[in-house]
Amino acid sequence: MGQSDEFSGRLGLIFATIGAAIGTGNIWRFPRMVGANGGGSFLIPWLIFLFLWSIPLVIAEFALGKRSRAGTVGTFRIFTGKNYAWMGLWTAWISTAIGFYYAIVAGWCMKYFTMGATGGLAKGTDFIGEWNNFLGSAGQVILFQFLIVLISVAAIWKGAKAIEKTNVWMMSSLFVLLFLVLFLSLWMDMKDGRLDGFTFMFTVDPEYLKDPKTWINGLSQSAWSCSAGMGMAITYAVYMRKDEDTVLNAATMGLANNSISIIAGLAVLSAIFAVSTDPLSVVTGGSSAITFLALPEVFAEAPGGKTGAMIMVTMFFLALTFAALTSMISTIEMCVRNFVDHGFSRDKAVGATAIAIFILGIPSAVIAIKVDSASGVMYPEFLEVQDHIWGYGLMFSGLFIAFTIWKYGWKIWKEKVAAGEADESLRGYMEHGMPAFRDDFINTGDNDLWVGSWWDKIMYFGFPIMFSVLILSYFSDLIFSFDPWYSAFNPVDPKGAGIIFAFWGVVGVTFFFFNKKLTSYPLYRNVPEGADVDISTLPGANDEMIFVLGEDSTDKIFDAEIIE
Amino acid sequence: MNSTQVFDEELTPIKSIASLMMLIILIFSVFPTIIADVAIAQDLNEEPGNSPEDIWSLAYINQIHPWGGDDRAQFKAYHSYFSLKERMMELTEDTNNRVGFDIIEFHEGMNGGVNKRGQETTIDTYEGWFYNHASPWVKITGGGEELQGIEGGECNLFVGDCGNYEDIPDVQMVGNFHAREWMSFEVPMMFLELIAHYYGTAGIDNDGDGLIDEDPFGDMDGDGFLDDDRDCLNLEPSLQDSNGDGDLCGPGDLGVDEDFSEQWITDIVNTREIYLIPMLNTDGLRYDMEEYCGPTAWENCPTSGWRKNLRDNTVTGITPIPDIDEEVDEGCDGVDLNRNFQFEWGAPLGATGPLVPGACYAGQNNDVYNGPVDDTDNDGDGQFNEDHVDGNDDDADGLVDEDWWGGNSEPETKFIQDLTEMNDDNGDGGSDFAVTLSWHSFSELVLYPWGHCTNCQTDDHLELIYHGDQLGEMTSYDNIQSSDLYPTTGDYCDWQYGAHDAYCYTMEIGTAFHQQPEDINSIAVENIGVPFYIAEIADDPRERARIGLEEADKSQWIVSPENLTVPDEGNVPITMCVDPIFPWTSNETYSHVMWRMVKPSRAQSNFGASEWIEEPWKMTGFNETGLNCTLNNGQEGTLISANLPVPEDKSGKLHYKSMLGTRSGTYPFAYPAPMGTYFVIDIPYRAPFGSAMLSFMLFAVVAGAVWGGLGKCLHLILSGEKDEIEWNKEKSTGG
Repeated sequence: MGQSDEFSGRLGLIFATIGAAIGTGNIWRFPRMVGANGGGSFLIPWLIFLFLWSIPLVIAEFALGKRSRAGTVGTFRIFTGKNYAWMGLWTAWISTAIGFYYAIVAGWCMKYFTMGATGGLAKGTDFIGEWNNFLGSAGQVILFQFLIVLISVAAIWKGAKAIEKTNVWMMSSLFVLLFLVLFLSLWMDMKDGRLDGFTFMFTVDPEYLKDPKTWINGLSQSAWSCSAGMGMAITYAVYMRKDEDTVLNAATMGLANNSISIIAGLAVLSAIFAVSTDPLSVVTGGSSAITFLALPEVFAEAPGGKTGAMIMVTMFFLALTFAALTSMISTIEMCVRNFVDHGFSRDKAVGATAIAIFILGIPSAVIAIKVDSASGVMYPEFLEVQDHIWGYGLMFSGLFIAFTIWKYGWKIWKEKVAAGEADESLRGYMEHGMPAFRDDFINTGDNDLWVGSWWDKIMYFGFPIMFSVLILSYFSDLIFSFDPWYSAFNPVDPKGAGIIFAFWGVVGVTFFFFNKKLTSYPLYRNVPEGADVDISTLPGANDEMIFVLGEDSTDKIFDAEIIE
Repeated sequence: MNSTQVFDEELTPIKSIASLMMLIILIFSVFPTIIADVAIAQDLNEEPGNSPEDIWSLAYINQIHPWGGDDRAQFKAYHSYFSLKERMMELTEDTNNRVGFDIIEFHEGMNGGVNKRGQETTIDTYEGWFYNHASPWVKITGGGEELQGIEGGECNLFVGDCGNYEDIPDVQMVGNFHAREWMSFEVPMMFLELIAHYYGTAGIDNDGDGLIDEDPFGDMDGDGFLDDDRDCLNLEPSLQDSNGDGDLCGPGDLGVDEDFSEQWITDIVNTREIYLIPMLNTDGLRYDMEEYCGPTAWENCPTSGWRKNLRDNTVTGITPIPDIDEEVDEGCDGVDLNRNFQFEWGAPLGATGPLVPGACYAGQNNDVYNGPVDDTDNDGDGQFNEDHVDGNDDDADGLVDEDWWGGNSEPETKFIQDLTEMNDDNGDGGSDFAVTLSWHSFSELVLYPWGHCTNCQTDDHLELIYHGDQLGEMTSYDNIQSSDLYPTTGDYCDWQYGAHDAYCYTMEIGTAFHQQPEDINSIAVENIGVPFYIAEIADDPRERARIGLEEADKSQWIVSPENLTVPDEGNVPITMCVDPIFPWTSNETYSHVMWRMVKPSRAQSNFGASEWIEEPWKMTGFNETGLNCTLNNGQEGTLISANLPVPEDKSGKLHYKSMLGTRSGTYPFAYPAPMGTYFVIDIPYRAPFGSAMLSFMLFAVVAGAVWGGLGKCLHLILSGEKDEIEWNKEKSTGG
């Protein structure tokens, strides 16, 4: 059995978590959302929800992982109780299912990087033709998907230190590349003496602020782009050194994520506003395909002629590839961590996960590659259906984390009531239950930053509200876009709500019933020397199948039997 | 590490279960694949091909009309008098319910009263001699801009209809003068079915090819083919003649004029009062269908049958003394309704009679008997029949046509005459119908007046030919002067034109009196553009013809999206090049650009153009620019412009079209043609994106919060780095 594994330094952890958080969503989804939601008007909710949703949730994830020292399944098993390990499986599954097709999308970015670097995206290229050619040739798509999986596997095979190195290197490059692209974009936009992209991005249109849609979009962008709830932070927290600060790390991760969004957004919008005659329809009109159709066309107009354009487009897609790769790495690592926790060797776990992600991603690369009749642009319908099904599953992962915190608070309060230390009243619960998780796992003394009771309020009140608004608005929009509305529940309509519920239902129920089997496995925690990993107050404390990696397990079982 | 090995062994079965579970889930995730595969297969099938199934919906290929109903409603079987009446009532009720206000009003005959000539009539006056039915008819109108339909306007006590508007042109269309000409009531019924089904809808893909309104009636693009979208023309030649008439991609063939604009139909109904009498000769039709030829007349008398009404000529020839035997004497009874109108009645061409009362002229020309001689002193001046109806003051007494010597003796012709003369919305004493249409069978012709004289021409000869040519083009029928087929006196069109100055056309439909039932539909389809065209020109057919003859309307153009430059700021100018001879009016009510800005939402892109109808059109009038332009015919035109106040801070699609009315009030000519179509252009966001100052302020706030926060965090981390270095050393030695 292996040794415990950890990041070499604080910056390593930061870079790894930032790498997980920053993905393609920051670089192509964010500018699109800014465009569609009234420019600067979007930034306000987006920023507010960083502090209301993303950072608090990441704080929770770090705190959970740091104490449990196990992947998502183990964390829920320890923190929420033996009967709730399936929640961890759900969290892992959502990220993995997204990972299947994310590798394809990352492959597209890489392909466009190579095309840019070889001069294939020069001015005058038939961009739609190039895109259709690429998407239509399954071999090409799979090749780049394979390369992405291969690089990710190479990065994580050797554990935390290797992950850290890759992330540091790629993230540093990403910052530099994006800044260079931003510089060129601003240059382009300044040519007519006006920074239209900049002005648009930072001008508030009050009409949009009055529209609930802007706020919902701000929340969902913040939730997705930060990877909060995906279990990445839990996974990387496993490798935290013993005295790591959870709060500062979470804040750094969230702020870094949004910093990159601003840079990328400004770079993309400036370039589009500099070149396009109708920039708004470019940014609002497209789907993900905007990245591969509109942006190369726009970057081809970069200053410095052919070379300048080539440099710009190459840098952009390389940055995009890095962003995608680091997120891919975290996805695979999360999966691997769960296997390793349950006694698989790391080599086997990495191999199996990589092969599964590669093979199960292939359908997204080859099935239902269709042509949009209006624009003549190819799009991968199967991939989009996958995204449609699993995208909002992430919100439930977040809810499970919040649930864990509520449950702990309840347990502590009940215990205190039993011991006569707390009132059995709402007031008593608010005084003793609500702050319990924060007191015991966040403000542990390792922190540079103290977290106040605002965090409890967000977790207990803000979170369920935000969750409900997101889920309800999404599904009501979806359902009422159908005519008649109930046809949205047809489970074989790949764009309906029925297919989402069907897949969630089957996966959820399967996991729920698999829970008993799952918790019959021993769980090995990855505990660094000297770290405080006491779990005796937790719902999973009396689980005799939980061990610390490297400890003599037989002894523990023996002890447990004696005690009984 | 013995203990670990022990565990490894124990773990094996669990591991395999775990892998199995993972596998099941993973396989499960491939499920949408199957769904998507099916979708792919369907897409491949939809690739363009050249068999009808590749292009059109099965319903369209099999000519299953979307309004449902039985074989009669579907034009697979002939209506009887009863089924026709029932269907008319049904369509009236259903359509009014669907539309939400009354646009169709069902009638039988008229109330009567004192007519234009001072005669007392009652409901009974208009009932057939034999079976005693009054002709069923409908009044159709949307009621102009207010859209009050039949519920608005004036009510006419004599006619019994409401929805009479002074400023809305009226049009009269009559079928089945001659009993045996069965297609002549099927075509008007199809006209009614179309209006009932499509009024108030828009953007329907009638043929299921995924396109909307792509092939309107007639040859709209002027390329010599009716099939404007060329879907029929792109078929294998062996498939181009679906109706089997030998004319490839001709009228009535699948894919020809099949996807008209529903908006156009709606516009026509809204701006006209349509008087549709599908079956005038109810007596004769019943007799032909029930007695004379029978219900399968196409087998035993394809080109024969009962023609006239059922006036009893045997005993006295004078109504209402009944026939003693109360049966039809086939060799003698009946009057040819289309020889019984008063204009030049009794002239010796193409008609027989008058008969001597009590006797029966049983010769071969009995079929065109024009009815009895008038036996009254119509003006009470003591003279008898001294001023015949011919438009002249024959007796030089200052009155015109006041004491006729015959015609208008039958209930059916009385009905038409009183309906025409008593429908006087503007109270000027004359008929309101500027254009009229009658349906007959057979010989595939369009006929225009005169009929009563040979080698003669009307004053509107060229104008009548002009519209007739348009009808001929739609149907591939020859357009000739009525008397060039054979002279006819006392016919409907001579009377409408001669006595009431109404343009009038006679459609000679098809190739037999009793067509095979399987041909009903294609022949009706072949003729269906005609009544719409007639309704469209009903405002001022004369002026339209003159403009058409000059081709002034065709040489004029509205700026197309390719030639339209949207300015960076301000109004969007939509220009039109108009012919100096075209009498356009600058009155905004009649001449204007209609436009609307739409932003496609997700629902709109999913469900297609029918959603646009939610967005109302706005109107902007034209101004002279003082500039010249080049007309389509190369001549110099005048450039006029409408400046649309399109908001600068909206992007989306601008729909625009123009209506150009004439000074005499002719209903506007539509650009682009045909009416109901419009141009679409993308409008970019044109307003400034914001102020530089304010945007820098927000940038400072956002960047300050995010980057400042990040900097603070990094500072905290780096200031704690000292501990970490120590930690690392410790770790690296220990690890």
